[in-house]
Amino acid sequence: MPSDIAAPVIRHDVLGRDHFLLTLECPAIAREARAGQFVMLRAGRGFQPLLRRPMSICRVLPGRRGRIQILYKIVGEGTRCLSQQPVGATVPTLGPLGNGFRLAPDGTRPILVAGGIGIAIFPFLVEALRAARRATPLLIYGARANRDLVALDFFRARDVPMRLATEDGSRGTKGFVTRILEPLLARKDRGPRMEIFACGPTPMLKAVRERALGAGVLCQLALESQMPCGIGVCLGCVVGCPPDERGPIFRRVCAEGPVFGAEEVVL
Amino acid sequence: MRRRADRAPRGTVPRVRAAAGRPRKRGVDLSVDLGPLRLKNPIVAASGTFGYGTDFLPYLDLRDLGGFVTKGLSLLPRRGNAPPRTCETPSGMLNAIGLANVGVEAFLSEKLPALRDCGTAIIANVFGETQEEYVAVARRLNGAPGLAALELNLSCPNTEKGGLAFGVSPPVVRQVVAAVRRAAPDLPLIVKLTPNITDVAVAGSAAREGGADVLSLVNTFLGMAIDLETRRPVLDNVVGGLSGPAIKPLALYMVHRVYREVGLPVLGMGGISCAEDALEFMLAGSAAVQVGTLNFFDPTGSVRLVREIEAWCRSAGVRAVRDLTGTLRLPAGRPPAPCSG
Repeated sequence: MPSDIAAPVIRHDVLGRDHFLLTLECPAIAREARAGQFVMLRAGRGFQPLLRRPMSICRVLPGRRGRIQILYKIVGEGTRCLSQQPVGATVPTLGPLGNGFRLAPDGTRPILVAGGIGIAIFPFLVEALRAARRATPLLIYGARANRDLVALDFFRARDVPMRLATEDGSRGTKGFVTRILEPLLARKDRGPRMEIFACGPTPMLKAVRERALGAGVLCQLALESQMPCGIGVCLGCVVGCPPDERGPIFRRVCAEGPVFGAEEVVL
Repeated sequence: MRRRADRAPRGTVPRVRAAAGRPRKRGVDLSVDLGPLRLKNPIVAASGTFGYGTDFLPYLDLRDLGGFVTKGLSLLPRRGNAPPRTCETPSGMLNAIGLANVGVEAFLSEKLPALRDCGTAIIANVFGETQEEYVAVARRLNGAPGLAALELNLSCPNTEKGGLAFGVSPPVVRQVVAAVRRAAPDLPLIVKLTPNITDVAVAGSAAREGGADVLSLVNTFLGMAIDLETRRPVLDNVVGGLSGPAIKPLALYMVHRVYREVGLPVLGMGGISCAEDALEFMLAGSAAVQVGTLNFFDPTGSVRLVREIEAWCRSAGVRAVRDLTGTLRLPAGRPPAPCSG
């Protein structure tokens, strides 16, 4: 069951341009969280910004203190305000919310596809896959430029093979993550069954979804949305789903998601 | 006799805290009456911000609320508008959900039974695209076990009148309210007014003539947001309803005006996010208030307001919160009517 906690800021680290790693102490949330779930953070005290911001739970730290980490990038007023919270301040934190990833069935190779700050959801998933003794995942990670690739140390320390892409070619493959994903999906000898886990901007998710469905590969997408409440009541965060005879169907990203099967949504 | 808060002797009520650290219930009478509807306290969760009640069970005890209003119910289920449906704006938000709801039958068979004995007033919000639909939904809800009242949402576009909202035409308001009154004679009838009208008091008077017991106001203000980069409206629906602290002064004025002009109990709302806001609405004439957008950014905020209002009353020497309603002190000799400029 989710809790609303005034969580103290334990650490607040800068991870390069506009990226931050926030450590919060919220035992009730840490205890219940599963990979792919999120929290709603209230970044300021007044009305600007007014609404909380949904943030993927990046990690639950080992230990009994019940600490979670949030990896975020400044993209607007809410995240800017959050970035100014000093150690010792409290951040109203509501969670864990939503449905997490379904872990890939045994014998399946997980392929993690991250775009930009979408990387934030994957450290938790990597640890969950390890804990469940699943195959080591492959991480395909794209960003605008080399300096926007963050948290690489985390994956390196866990021997997660990485394939990087940057739009400006400053590191790894020049272009989008699909330039790495496509040949992988096309390989006749691609070995054991694979399952894609993707999180990133909507155009990326759209492209990954099409490639996965085209190749008949299992694929879970973690969606982002404008999310005023995060608890299923405002109906503001919906995503379009394949229509039925009565017309379009909408599902709440916060309550039915944020993780959906590629076939469940229309992007 | 009504006693004014500012005249109450200060310090005569001992400030005692219960062992658990929560203010004692004894001492301040929080109950309020809205015509035939009695609430245990003046805080009601607003329609569209509280689901069908059960969504908030992880966060609060429904018994601590004066009541809540369900998501607006139509005759058939509705799926609502395409996204994006919401957009944050300075101290507020726009929404264009499109009245998505489970429909009155699913509400009666699935939602309402789960709320039996929830210990708070359940108010069903009703809307329709035609007068017939309002009537049909209200008739279906009349006599439903556990329902405390109906609230009519008159901001819905009237498909028979070119999509103009029912609530902007006083004759239509009178007619719809009277028809619903006849269809649901057993339930207190709250009529929720739209602020998107020249004079909200005229619509309020029409609702009174149609047989409304209570007026709730205000619904959201029409607004829009534009993405300069794409040169497109942010909301797929182009236009949405503005709510949140940004609208509080506008709503407060309308409550003041309707209280002075119409003569029905008022359930005020619009950007209330703390006890002081709620109390200001009561001074302006609200018998009770609704909180809406607050439920989104602070899911326990509604019950916090109840506790804060109780504490405020205790420190101000107010024995019964209902005594505050309409006790606004206006400048002597100043007409209560609006003036511009």
